[in-house]
Amino acid sequence: MTMPGDRRGPGRELVVIAALAVAWVGLGLTVRDSYYQLMLTLVPIWALFGLSWNLASGYTGLVSFGHASFFGLGAYTVTLGLVRFGLTPWFGIPLGMLVGAVAGALIGYPTFRLRGHYFALAMLAYPLALLYLFEWLGYQEVPLPMQRQAPHWYMQFGDYRVYIVIAVLMLTLALLVSLAVERTRFGKSLLAIKQNEPAAEAAGIDTLYWKMRAIVLSGALAAAAGGLYAVVLLVVTPESVFGVLTSAQALIVALFGGVATLWGPVIGAAVLVPLSEALQAQLGNVLPGIQGVVYGAAIILVILLAPEGVYWRVRDWLTHRRAPLPPPAAAPALEASPERPAAVPPRRPAPGKAILSVEGLSKSFGGLRAVHEVGFVVEEGAISGIIGPNGAGKTTLFNLLNGFIRPDSGRVALRGRDLVGLKPNRVCRLGIGRTFQVVRAFPRMSALENALIGAYVAQPSDREALAAAAAALDRVGLGHRAGAIAAALTTKELRLMELARALAGQPRLLLMDEPLAGLGGGEIEELFAVIRGLAGSGITIVVIEHTMHAMVRLADRLVVLDHGQVIAEGEPAAITRDERVIEAYLGKKWAVLGA
Amino acid sequence: MLEIEGLTVAYGGLAALREVSLAVGEGQFIAIVGPNGAGKTTLFRAISGTVAPLSGAIRYEGRDLLAVPPAGRAHLGIAHVPEGRQVFASLTVLENLEMGAYTAAGRSAWHQSLERIFTLFPVLAERRRQLAGTLSGGEQQMLAIGRGMASAPRLLMLDEPSMGLAPAVADLIFERIEELHRDGRLTVLLVEQRVAEALQSCDKGYVLETGRIVLEGPRQALLADDRVRRAYLGM
Amino acid sequence: MTAGIFIETALQALVAGLMVGGIYGLMCVGLGLIFGVMRVINFAQGDFLMLGMYFTYYVVSVFGAFAFLGPAGAPIAGALCAGPVLFAGGWLLHRLLIARVTGTRAGVFGDAGQAQLILTLGVALILENGGLIAFGSTPQAVRTPLAWSAWQIPLFDSASSVLFVNKARAVSCMVSLAIGAALYWFTGRTRLGKALRAAADNPQAATYMGVDVDRAYGVAFGIGTGITAIAGGLVASFYPFQPYVGFDFVIIMYTGVVLGGMGSILGAFWGGMTIGLVQQLATLVLPLQLQNAAIFVVFLLVVQLRPQGFFGRSGERA
Repeated sequence: MTMPGDRRGPGRELVVIAALAVAWVGLGLTVRDSYYQLMLTLVPIWALFGLSWNLASGYTGLVSFGHASFFGLGAYTVTLGLVRFGLTPWFGIPLGMLVGAVAGALIGYPTFRLRGHYFALAMLAYPLALLYLFEWLGYQEVPLPMQRQAPHWYMQFGDYRVYIVIAVLMLTLALLVSLAVERTRFGKSLLAIKQNEPAAEAAGIDTLYWKMRAIVLSGALAAAAGGLYAVVLLVVTPESVFGVLTSAQALIVALFGGVATLWGPVIGAAVLVPLSEALQAQLGNVLPGIQGVVYGAAIILVILLAPEGVYWRVRDWLTHRRAPLPPPAAAPALEASPERPAAVPPRRPAPGKAILSVEGLSKSFGGLRAVHEVGFVVEEGAISGIIGPNGAGKTTLFNLLNGFIRPDSGRVALRGRDLVGLKPNRVCRLGIGRTFQVVRAFPRMSALENALIGAYVAQPSDREALAAAAAALDRVGLGHRAGAIAAALTTKELRLMELARALAGQPRLLLMDEPLAGLGGGEIEELFAVIRGLAGSGITIVVIEHTMHAMVRLADRLVVLDHGQVIAEGEPAAITRDERVIEAYLGKKWAVLGA
Repeated sequence: MLEIEGLTVAYGGLAALREVSLAVGEGQFIAIVGPNGAGKTTLFRAISGTVAPLSGAIRYEGRDLLAVPPAGRAHLGIAHVPEGRQVFASLTVLENLEMGAYTAAGRSAWHQSLERIFTLFPVLAERRRQLAGTLSGGEQQMLAIGRGMASAPRLLMLDEPSMGLAPAVADLIFERIEELHRDGRLTVLLVEQRVAEALQSCDKGYVLETGRIVLEGPRQALLADDRVRRAYLGM
Repeated sequence: MTAGIFIETALQALVAGLMVGGIYGLMCVGLGLIFGVMRVINFAQGDFLMLGMYFTYYVVSVFGAFAFLGPAGAPIAGALCAGPVLFAGGWLLHRLLIARVTGTRAGVFGDAGQAQLILTLGVALILENGGLIAFGSTPQAVRTPLAWSAWQIPLFDSASSVLFVNKARAVSCMVSLAIGAALYWFTGRTRLGKALRAAADNPQAATYMGVDVDRAYGVAFGIGTGITAIAGGLVASFYPFQPYVGFDFVIIMYTGVVLGGMGSILGAFWGGMTIGLVQQLATLVLPLQLQNAAIFVVFLLVVQLRPQGFFGRSGERA
């Protein structure tokens, strides 16, 4: 999503934000017509609302259809504060932001547990429930009373252009907040969640924590937009602030302009708000719903033609034009990796004490006993292999170890510390990294950023995390591809990148799920060299494989699973002569036929 | 009957099949063995059209199969019994078999097929009103094979019928498959990771490893070849 | 209020709930079919309901078709006609827009579900506001003499307490039940119905059987919209409507479908029935404006506490 040159400061964006703000205010000061002044005020307000949506939904990919909840709460806080308690909007808007933030927490916590469609539907229901609630409370149409004394104290200005300045100032602040989010681990974590939530969780990102922070911040910003909207329009109705069209507008300006970039909502609002307002003014009498039709059509076109928004589409187009041949997506010659992994160290000395012990671990899905009473011990510094035919329960076992699945019974202990019941990000924090059978990359991030996500868990500062990520890439021999987007990497590079992401979190124990799948013969040797190197540096490694012949050469010790149970355990050489193992692999008849 | 030439398939830059060629003659029993991840399932999905190959050709009874839309291929007499059974869990056993007979050929042969299926797998007759999702793994595999037979196919493709089954059940399944081939004069293409069972009954076998065919030959030759054993056990 | 009067009011609400619930059940069945088969959330479903209402209104009240069926029969015939017309509309919408982001072409937007959600939101906005342009904002109603007449069923022994059964609602409810039963028969017994269920259950395996899954999805989408449109036409005879009415109902429908276990047709019907009962019984204790808020609360509770629904058995889907 972001450019590889992320190490540079946010200077250019700051300049653009400042220039935009100055230009908009300048434009506002020259316009005399009050209708255009209103439009110039509404654009930054909707852009602000779009930015707030973008924070919660654009970066995380959890599409909210209910941001009107926060917008409306902000609007009503300002309005009722003024009507009931004589509270000036100068304080009413910050108070509204507080209400929006609290609402964000209250809505977010239960709703983030929901997946996919349920999340979308639940988010849609909140503002509609609020809409009926406010109607019932008798707030069908609440005007903001004119304050004849000290109007400025009540944010009421005869000169409309002041509102433009206020709106632009608030938008600028929100842009700065978004910029800060985008450039730190906050934004990167959200993007990681969007691109592959389980991978983010396994890489040590506390996904719930970041999503909660995002929706709280988003609720506050949306409420600010709503509060200002009430001040500008001087009247609030439940339909206008809690209505479906309001929620839709936040989503549409952001999606139209571009998701997960702070420019998206600004572009979207600058195009769609004037367009729909102008059509409404010109044709509103003849075609009363033209505004909604414009928004509806805009969003359909965007989904079909530029699903990530205008900004990304234009940027892709510009980069393609500037550089007709982007960095080679095709594999660079595998044999010629400039940075070879370190020379293979000698086989490690005899392994030491137990680092991971598993006892009586069981998990059933419905009637299927996927893992049944599995117990084994992993010795510190060793390379252990867990092998078994397809469907034997190997991946389920890993998911039980790193916290993706909770076992029905049994114990998993890392150096004596019980892991059962911990979330994957906690397990990662305690020193267990993992890779996946099908590589779970963050496809739109660079290799370096992928590793960076894994580094956050071990590094308190973003700068150190970046250094750790770069070091991890070098360690697996992928330093030369740091800037390449993950989607453009080869299978081998993806495997190495995923390994680097796990390493960046400085694990003591590394779980690798079928790292050889999809690799050719030479590539397997390269990966083996890397794995042996890691083991030589003191990291304990557990590898899942179903093909035995590779593991026989790599592992110090093998555990064989079949039908969810351990059927053999021991030295590789002994395992390959074990009758039960041969039967599990080659079938019962092999002994008869092959002998 | 079925000829595949230079078939290459990739998912997201990851080559799953590289330049695979093979031929299946009318009435033959062909086995493709190889460890998991070798690309066996991908090969089947390319034949059935649920993945699109990068390059290569598939000819079936003389026609270009890649030009036929996926849903049309069943109507040409190709039955695919997919990996992991994939029975319609929310339909009854009988409804699953009816779906198998969705093709015109299947419908016209419905009564004979049903009789044959129930003779081969009597347990399906007993459970015909039961939802398929409530069957045991072995019964689901029988149902998946039965569903394939219900279309009165000329080519039956079986993807890992032994997967996740207890050895005794797997043995039974293999016996039935052999029976089907022998008595039904059916062309069978079998993909398996259990080498012994697969090679025991086939006319000809292919060994697939990391997307490539590394060995091919008649049954006896493959059984005698030490490389097969090594591909699995590394010894 | 005496106990007797309270019981009478409660019974009245119960009967109203059962009848409204029957029609809600039909709406939910339409949506449930679409969701069950395609896993698509259609925000525009409420607007198809609205179109069904206006179709019935124009055909019956404006153009006076079916006059030969009498003032009571014409609205029902009009509502039934909305079915095939909006089947075509739904099928076209699927073909032109929805199929581009779902089914075998899913995955353009990372998570395909979102593209489809947003797309149907756009369709909903266009239909709603286009409806405003085409039909105006004045609330309309399909007039039928049945709306002002009721069967009277004496209660207890006293002559004074009588249970009123509104004829418009009762007839609409019965028609709904009949159509729901027909759909149940269609999905359970016919070849096409079974193919739809197979495509819903496992699209890949269905393709192996020779089912054209994209086409099956189009048919399911069309039937789903058609069924909901019929329900709309039936509601129109006792519920005044305007172009924005869709969103009132879309939440009702989703609540019903979620209650019913997301994807089971029978479950969706019972879910809709439950919503009708909750809505009508809520009037006993809550002010009228909070009737719909009560539905949202039920909805949120169900989604939070039991997202698998209450009526769907794990085996029975679509």
